[in-house]
Amino acid sequence: MKTQKFSPTPYLFLAPAIILLFIFNLFPAVATFQQSLFAESARRGADPIFVRFENFMRIFQDPVFWKSAKVTLLFSLITNPMQTVLALGLALIATQKVKGIGIFRSIYLLPVAVSINVAVVVWGLMVDTNAGLINGMLNQIGLPEQAFLTSPDQALYTIIMIISWKGIPYWALFFIAAVQGIPVSAIEAALIDGANKWQLLTRIIIPILRPIILFVLVADTIINFTLFVPIQLLTQGGPQLSSNLVMYETYRRGFIYGDLGSSSVMLTIMFIVILIVIGIQNLLLRERN
Amino acid sequence: MLVLAACGPKSEEPVDNAPEAAEDVTITWLRLAEWNEADPKIIETFEAEHPGIKVEVEEIPFSELVSQINLRFGADDDSIDVISADVPLVSSYGYKGWLLPLDDAFTAEEKADWLPAALDAGTYDGQLMAAPVSTSTQLLYYNADAFDAAGVTPPGQDERWTWSQVIDAAQQLQVVGDDDTVETWGFQWEQTTAAYQLLPLMGSLGGDYIGEGGLVVDGVVNSEPWVEAATFYYDVFNTYKVAPQGDAVNGPDLFVNGNLAMLIAGPWQISNFAENAEFDWNVSRHPYFEGGEVATSTGSWHLGVNSLTKHPEEAKAFVRWLSTGEGAEMWWRDGSHDFPAQQSVLAMFATSEEFNEVPMSFNRVAADEATQGPIPRPVTVGYLEYDQIFRDTFQDIRIGTDPVEALGTMVDRLVSEFAKYE
Repeated sequence: MKTQKFSPTPYLFLAPAIILLFIFNLFPAVATFQQSLFAESARRGADPIFVRFENFMRIFQDPVFWKSAKVTLLFSLITNPMQTVLALGLALIATQKVKGIGIFRSIYLLPVAVSINVAVVVWGLMVDTNAGLINGMLNQIGLPEQAFLTSPDQALYTIIMIISWKGIPYWALFFIAAVQGIPVSAIEAALIDGANKWQLLTRIIIPILRPIILFVLVADTIINFTLFVPIQLLTQGGPQLSSNLVMYETYRRGFIYGDLGSSSVMLTIMFIVILIVIGIQNLLLRERN
Repeated sequence: MLVLAACGPKSEEPVDNAPEAAEDVTITWLRLAEWNEADPKIIETFEAEHPGIKVEVEEIPFSELVSQINLRFGADDDSIDVISADVPLVSSYGYKGWLLPLDDAFTAEEKADWLPAALDAGTYDGQLMAAPVSTSTQLLYYNADAFDAAGVTPPGQDERWTWSQVIDAAQQLQVVGDDDTVETWGFQWEQTTAAYQLLPLMGSLGGDYIGEGGLVVDGVVNSEPWVEAATFYYDVFNTYKVAPQGDAVNGPDLFVNGNLAMLIAGPWQISNFAENAEFDWNVSRHPYFEGGEVATSTGSWHLGVNSLTKHPEEAKAFVRWLSTGEGAEMWWRDGSHDFPAQQSVLAMFATSEEFNEVPMSFNRVAADEATQGPIPRPVTVGYLEYDQIFRDTFQDIRIGTDPVEALGTMVDRLVSEFAKYE
C-alpha cells in the first residue's frame, strides 16, 4: 500500500474561497447566534448582558413572531412548489421546436431583465386599489374591483403573484439549459418503445432533471425565505401583519426598533429552519445511485 | 470628577464659552429632512457669531429619523453631535445615557423663558437633557372659497366645531367630477396616521393614551374611547369617504392646490399657505366630539447633544443659540416655522403689531389654541414602538380594516414589543 504524499497545492488554491466563506458566511452566522444570547444593556457604555436563552424564550411566546412564522410557512408552501412547477412547464414549452419560439422566449424572459425594485414599484402602481391599471381593467369588463395589497386576505397572494412574475421565468432559464442537455437518443428510444407524452415526461425527462429540480427548489426556498424588497416597498408587513414574513419582522425588530437580541433570535431560528428544509428536500430528491 | 465639576461654569453665568480653536470645529446636526428649506442664513448667522464653529446638517425624513437615532446611538456613533429629538423620546434617550446634560449651558433666566411643559419634557432625572425649541398645536384650516361655493357657513375663528359638524360640512364640500373621481376632498389630517395628530380623538372621548407605568396597553388601546375614536376614523375614509385613502398627494399640497376644503395641520403651515394658496382661506379651532372634552395635540422638537460628542462645548453653544433668543426667533421665522417654545417669542404674538393682520394673525389664534386642552403624547420607554405600531394600525383602518380587529392586533404587537422592557 502506497501512502499518498501530502501536497499543500490544492489547499492553497482553495484558500481564498474558504477564507472569504469564513469571513462573509460563517463568521456572521456565528456572530448572530452569539448576539441572540445577549440583551443590549439599556445604558450606553455598559456591556451587553448574557441572558442565555431568554431571548429565545421570549420569541417563542411572542404572538407576532408566530403569526409571521405562519405567514412565512403559507407563503413558502405556495410559492416554492408553484414557481418550480411552472418554471419547468415554461421551460418545456420554450424548448419546443416550432416556428417563432425565439420571439416567445425573448418575451417571457423580459421580466428577468427588470430590476426587482423597479418591477415591484410598477406592479405596486398597477394593483393600486383606487387608481391602479388592473382595477381599471376589471371595471371595464364589468368585474368587481379588488383590494389587492390593502386587504389582509389578498395582500400575500398579490405579492406571490408579483414575485412569481419575475421568479418563474428566472428559474425556467435553468430548466431550459437542462432540457436542452437531455440526450436526443434517450427521448427517441422512449418514443420507439411506445411511450406517450406523459410517460416521456414522468419517466424520462423528470428523472434526468432531478438534480436541477433539486437545485431550483433549494435555491428558490432560500431566496423566498429571505424575501425582503417587495414587502418593504409595498406593504411593510401589513395590512394586519398579513404579509409580515419572518424576514421582515427580523428587519423591523433589528433596524427599526433597535432590538438586536430579538432580531438575531429570529435569524438564528430561520437559519436552522432553512437547513432542515433543505435537508428534507435533499433526502426526497436525492439521486438514487 | 468632583474637581472637574467644580471647575465647570456656574449655572448662572456665561455659558457661551466655546473655546476658540486654532482650527475650525465642525459639529453635525441630525435633523428632519422636512426642514431642508430652512433659510441657510440661520446657520450662517450662528457661525458668524461663533468664529471657529462650523455646523453641518444631516437630514433624515421624519419616518426614519427616530429609528436612525435609535440605531446610530445604539451603536455608539459619535459622528453626530446634535440631534433634533421628538419630545416623547427625550426621557428614553436620557434613560439610555445617550444625551449630555445641558444644565450648565443655560442661565436660570433662559430656562424660565421656556414653556414649563416643554422644559419638563426635556428634563430627565432632574437634569436638562434636551433643550426645548418648539412646541405645537393644531388648527382647522379651511378653503373659504370652497365654503362659499357650496353655500356652507364656515366656523368662526374662535368657534370649535364638533366632529359631526366637520363631517357634515365635508360631505357638502366634497366635489366629485363626471368620471366619479374626487376633484375636491372634504377633509384631511396633515399627518394622517400619526399618533401625534390622532390621539386627541381618543383624548376628546376621555381615553388614556397608555396605561400604568407606560407599558400597559391591554384595556387601554382597546378600550371604549379608542374603539369609538377608531370607528369614527374608519368612517371618515370608508363610510363618508370624505378623505383620501392614499398618500399620492399629501394634505397640505391638496389644500394649496384647491383640492381639499378642510385640513387639520400645525401652525407651521401658515407661512406655506400664505405664500402658495391662491384663494381665500382661514383657520378655526381643533374639533372635538360632542359631549366630550376639548383635547389638542402638543409637543414638538427639542435639541440634544450626543453624550459621545468630541465637541461638547461647541455643540452646547449651538443648542443654546438655537433654543433661546435670537436663534430661536430666526428658527421659528425662517426655519421650521414650528411654534416656538420660548415664552418671550410667543409673547410677540399678543403684542407685536405684525400679528394684527391676516395671515400672521392666525399665529395669535394658534397661540391661544396651544393653551386649550393640550395632552402630551404618552411617556414610555417604548414610545418608538408605540408610534410605529400606531401608524401601521391607523393605516390599516384607513384602508378598510375593521377598527376593533385592528386595535386588537395593535395590543398584541405592543405587548410583544414591550415584553423586552419588563
